[in-house]
Amino acid sequence: MDININTVSQNTYDAIVIGSGISGGWAAMELCKKGLKVLLLERGRNVEHVKDYPTALLNPWDFECRLQYTQKELQENPVQTKASDAGSQLFFANDKDHPYIQEKPFNWFRGYQVGGRSLTWGRQCYRWSDLDFEANLKDGNAVDWPIRYKDIAPWYDYVESFIGVSGSKQNLPHLPDGNFLPGMELNCIENHLAQSMKKSYNDRLLMIARVTNLTRGWDNRGPCQYRNLCSRGCPFGGYFSSNASTIPAAVATGNLTLRPFSVVSEIIYDDKIQKATGVRVIDTSTHEHLEFHSKIIFVNASTIPTTSLLMNSKSSRFPNGLGNDSGELGHNLMDHHSSAGATGSHDGFKDTYYKGRRPCGFLIPRYKNLKSGEKNDFLRGYNIQGTGERQGYAELAGTPGFGADFKNTITTPGPWTIWMAGWGECLPYHTNQISFDEHQKDQWGLPVVKIDFSFRENEDKMMKDIQDTCLDMLQKAGFNASKFNYNKPGGSTVHEMGTARMGRDPKTSVLNANNQLHAVKNVFVTDGSSMTSSACQNPSLTYMALTARACNYAFEQLKKGEL
Amino acid sequence: MNRRTTIKSLLAFGFLGASGFSIFKWADINKAPDTKFLLSKKGLIADLAETIIPVTDTPGAKDAKVEDYIITMMQKCTDIKNQNLFIDGLADVDSYSNKHYDKSFQACKPTEKTEILKHFEKKAHSFNSLIAKVEGRYLGDPFFTQLKNLTVTGYCTSQVGATKGLVYDYIPGMYNGSMPLAPHQKSWATK
Repeated sequence: MDININTVSQNTYDAIVIGSGISGGWAAMELCKKGLKVLLLERGRNVEHVKDYPTALLNPWDFECRLQYTQKELQENPVQTKASDAGSQLFFANDKDHPYIQEKPFNWFRGYQVGGRSLTWGRQCYRWSDLDFEANLKDGNAVDWPIRYKDIAPWYDYVESFIGVSGSKQNLPHLPDGNFLPGMELNCIENHLAQSMKKSYNDRLLMIARVTNLTRGWDNRGPCQYRNLCSRGCPFGGYFSSNASTIPAAVATGNLTLRPFSVVSEIIYDDKIQKATGVRVIDTSTHEHLEFHSKIIFVNASTIPTTSLLMNSKSSRFPNGLGNDSGELGHNLMDHHSSAGATGSHDGFKDTYYKGRRPCGFLIPRYKNLKSGEKNDFLRGYNIQGTGERQGYAELAGTPGFGADFKNTITTPGPWTIWMAGWGECLPYHTNQISFDEHQKDQWGLPVVKIDFSFRENEDKMMKDIQDTCLDMLQKAGFNASKFNYNKPGGSTVHEMGTARMGRDPKTSVLNANNQLHAVKNVFVTDGSSMTSSACQNPSLTYMALTARACNYAFEQLKKGEL
Repeated sequence: MNRRTTIKSLLAFGFLGASGFSIFKWADINKAPDTKFLLSKKGLIADLAETIIPVTDTPGAKDAKVEDYIITMMQKCTDIKNQNLFIDGLADVDSYSNKHYDKSFQACKPTEKTEILKHFEKKAHSFNSLIAKVEGRYLGDPFFTQLKNLTVTGYCTSQVGATKGLVYDYIPGMYNGSMPLAPHQKSWATK
């Protein structure tokens, strides 16, 4: 008996956070800073900032295949190899060890290590506005968000002032400004397009991307060295990741216990007290099954794993998954589309070049369906993300001929070009969903996930509009331009959202306005799974703000004895 | 099966016949590639690459050991179809130079080497423009196209090529999006 009591007390914390990616890192840091003893569980290995970035400083020729994948790697890991190269492969989970079922083609890019995908994310940070939070209510799709911009605005301020976002203020109501470090520079061809757009349109502008790449030192990190090798991990701490930022800050409080190699199989629910009491964990290095207990639990395993964990946490009270009274758990999966756009080359600015590898491009904020009554054949909107560059050897390799002249051509800067595509909102469709395969189990005995997702008519029409407007902007600026649509499957933008949505009504949603499970108040979900709609902005900033907000609420409730 | 005959027939049959002929084509380009032959042709590959990217005021393909890169890529990173097309292409080069110049490619003078590669470029061009659009994914890339792409990538990603043929900025430390192009400015080796 003594041993058991001892184990329980050793395995008991104030809070458990499941997942150490961008939102889990935030949850751990916030709760630790408030004085709670926090256990941070991560299914993968530890990745310590700087020390565990072995490829970060390598040259192209240091890789045997010069950053290309071998046939064997392509065949074994068709999804992993689409998102990464030999420099960043170490931060992407491989398909072979981590199977999932694609009912329709779906690229599921995963980062199973401490820091998760915060190591490899796109680093773009855009606030949402009431145009986004009111969209479901206004056009009658899905359910209304239980929050509005005013609820999250102070938390955007709070998060931005910690992570450091570089960018420019534009005073747009639908893309609110924040606390920015100086923005990176547009290059000459991007400035040319921006000037041309100013003359040609009164409804749109081109600005430098807002990114967590630091233009000056911030929080003892950075600045960015303009190497554009972010997804290998940055030894200069030039961008925000859990590894560089929130986890070290959590460790510094003395309140954090970080436990890698810990797959959470289930959240334990006690029907008598109507609360979760802890989690069951499989230690992937020892294969031991363990239990940990806490007063509150934050689930931040990333959209699909978070919902899978809730689905797998069955009890007599919740036979269809923890907190799933509504039946919405697993449904309404979203991802942005980013397949459609236009590209073109320009004959000008031949005497102008650039120095440095800027780790971001430009943004043309949303310009469609901003006002009610606009006549478009699709709902919601998109923003345009793109980049201008001078062609190099890779683009010029197809030049006819060979020999000295050819060599000169491919080693001399080619024409300036612009590539740009629309990042578009995806509506929350009930039938875009995840479920479990009835037969297949993974190596830990956990059910394998099936993903059933497709873009629909609204997204297709939006993509056509993106192509047309992109082509028009480039042609008006004197580019020799053409449209494209890569028709990438869902998941390709790596913005999985939904499947445990927030809402006002427990009958139609999984989480309330504070990201609490409606029916289990001490379980909080603050990653992408909580999203009620997708907007068109890159979503991570919103996850971080929701997380900080929910942590504050959880702590207040704990103090009051409510949890 | 002779690939050239196949291609001619494929052209004769046009689009409707293409799928039928692909079965024969499949058998030809999906045979086990002769990697022993590939390794024995390292010197030839080096000469071919040097003809595409020769020494000028900057180092050439041989200085960058592009032949080693091409062999690695062939062995590890190339699918069976393209392996076969490339290896068959190497044999074709020597038989062509023997037939027209009475010596191996490596024994030819630079001007002769250029003429020979022009022949293979033309051949690849007609393959690309007529057939690749119909079944490019299925048939793979012709020999010359592969040789040229591999030479360019191998050269430009090598230390010699990146730092001497191009300019390599290891840690830029700053960004300037609009500066005057220097005289004889080379491209950046990485983006």
